[in-house]
Parts: sequence; C-alpha cells; structure tokens
Amino acid sequence: MKARPPTLREKKRYILAGIWPPEPEPDPKELYGAVLEAVTSLFGDAATARIRPVVISCGTGYVLLRCSRGCEKQFRIALATLTSVGERRVVLHPKATSGTLLALRRKIPPALPSREGEDGVVQYLGKEWSARRYHGQKIDLLEKGIKGQAPVYITQDDIEELACSHRHTRWDTTGQ
Amino acid sequence: MMETDACVHPCPAGNASVRRMALEAGALGLRAIVARDAMPGEYAGVRIIPALIISEPDIRKVSGQIRKRGTVGTLVLVDAGENGFNRSLLAMKGVHVLRNICRTHRNAFDHVAARLAEASGVAVDIDLYPLVHARGAARQRVLHRYIDLIRLRSRYHFPLTLSTNACSVLDMRSPGEMQLLCTLFSLPEEDAALALSTPEALLQPGEPVRVVR
Repeated sequence: MKARPPTLREKKRYILAGIWPPEPEPDPKELYGAVLEAVTSLFGDAATARIRPVVISCGTGYVLLRCSRGCEKQFRIALATLTSVGERRVVLHPKATSGTLLALRRKIPPALPSREGEDGVVQYLGKEWSARRYHGQKIDLLEKGIKGQAPVYITQDDIEELACSHRHTRWDTTGQ
Repeated sequence: MMETDACVHPCPAGNASVRRMALEAGALGLRAIVARDAMPGEYAGVRIIPALIISEPDIRKVSGQIRKRGTVGTLVLVDAGENGFNRSLLAMKGVHVLRNICRTHRNAFDHVAARLAEASGVAVDIDLYPLVHARGAARQRVLHRYIDLIRLRSRYHFPLTLSTNACSVLDMRSPGEMQLLCTLFSLPEEDAALALSTPEALLQPGEPVRVVR
C-alpha cells in the first residue's frame, strides 16, 4: 500500500510523562488500559476517538505517550486523573510535549544514580519495614510480611529525627 | 507569586510525612503547602503552612475551636454546611477558607453568601480530589457544583483556593495540572494561577485580599 503524502497524514503530538513509583515498571498494555479508561471516563467515547491516546513505551520512571495534535491539553487533563494501573497506585506527571519522538527521547532523564532503587530494612515507629531509597531524601516503606498494604512515604530526615529522639529518650531514662 | 496547595493531609491522616510531601511539592513546582496539623516551617525550599481544619455543625463550636486552636500563621479552613451556617461562617472573624463546598446542597452557597465572601475576604476552596478520584455521576455532580460556583465568582469576585486534599504523595498534582483540571469547570488558567497564590494573601495580616484582574 502506498503511504499517504506527509500533508495528508494525521499530525501527532508526543508526551513524556514521569511515573511514580518508578519500580516495578508497569506493563504497557495495562498502562494503556488505564490511560484509555481515564480519557474515556472524563471526555466520553467521541472525544477519546479524536484524542487517540496511545502508550508508545515505558521505562523506569518515565512513559512515552501519543495523541492527536490539538488534543494534547485534553490528554494532559485526563492523565492528571489517572490514579492506578491495575491494582497498583501510580501517578503520571507530564514533563514535556513534542512533535517528534526523537526530540522527546532526548529529554528522557539520564541513567539512575547509584543510590536509586536501593533496598534495605529500617526500623520506623517500632516496626520493621522494607525500605526503598531513592535519589535525594525519598524513602518508600512497606511493612514487612504484610501483602497489599499501602506504602508509607517518608524522607531520610524523618528516620534520622526519629533515631535522634530515641537516643534522647534512652539518655533521659539512664539519667533518672 | 507563591503557588500553594491549599490542603494536604500528612501523617497520621495520610500515609506520607509532611517533609516528604514538601519534597514532592517542590519537585512538582509548588512553593508552599498547607498541611493539616503540621508545624510551620520550610523544607527543601517549600514553605509549610499549618492548617486548622474544623468540621463542626454548630457555629458556636466553630468559634470555640478557633479561639482554642487558631494561632497566628495558621490557615483556618472550615467545612461548609447549609446556607445559614455558611453565611454565619463568612461573617466570622478568624475563618480563612470555606471548604468542602462540593459536598453541600446547591443552595448552600448562593449569591448572598458569595457577596459576604467577597466583603469579608474569605476564600472558597476548590477541592480537586473528587475530580481526580471520582468517576461517572459523582464527578459530574462535583463539576456541576463548581460550574455554578464559578458563575457566582464571575459576578462577585470572591477569592478561591485550590487544593488536592492529598493523603499520599501520589495524590499531589503540579500547579500546571491543577490549572488544567480547573479548565474542566471553566475557570480560566490565569484565575486558577491566582487561586494558587491566595493562601499566602490570606495569611498576610492587615492586607485585604485583592482580586487582580
């Protein structure tokens, strides 16, 4: 089949969105289902057909999406209403929009810093948690041995402050 | 202009610490967050404004709570109720924001209440949580309620605040996303940007809230 001349082809826009939590990477098919549901539930079938949302690819912490030109604003609104992929809570934050995939791929964040995704075990609020540390201060906690539990989001400073207060408590007790 | 999320719920009401919420807010481009029962301060360049949220059906209990717990620098947000209650709230000293307007009956906030809000400088909060999380008829009801509110605002110019009511970092949205969500109920992006800076204006003593057009 002969390809259409460029002037007759449908114009598209590509969107780079950050995804949190970055790991595990969502299944592109499941993510497409979630994006489609978000667009359809907000704007209806007719508008969704005009927007033509597509998930191009997923990576660690980012996703590339496509829509028709002129509909990117509507698409970004719908992306703001996406709250989960399957059973897993996620959030997409659009970072950049471009007319070509090449330009957008240049904006994909560089490889992960060494500390990102580091796992460990921490004591917090008297319980043992499996912790996932990210670059900077971010730590996601999941209580050990409990499945399907919502994570707790804290920072390194929260853990240090807690450890510090425990030390003070011990010192006070010894002092008495 | 200080882009502020007018209400977030850190631990223990939510599942994120106030520091983590401030960190995420900074990454999203917000300059301040109004956090329920938090200590005032700054973290990672994001100002943390403490919020006192009052959910009382009786106006005397509301004034008692403000007297007891309302301090300088704390944003006082009160849940809206029926029409008479809302009018009394809007005339009360110490109330900064009327919230949960989407959960009230349509007549609960009418043109008289809108005029009172404008005169007293009390802001009306637009809660974006149901727009993000609700689906179908529930979201349509909220959108209809906000369209009606914006119609009143175009006549009376009372201040607005925008809040995500985030209980988790996954519920937080960037100022751009919040502005885009506001276009769903015909609030222009410039007015939404102005609404994002309203909490700062509400906390400045001695200066009335001005709507810049």
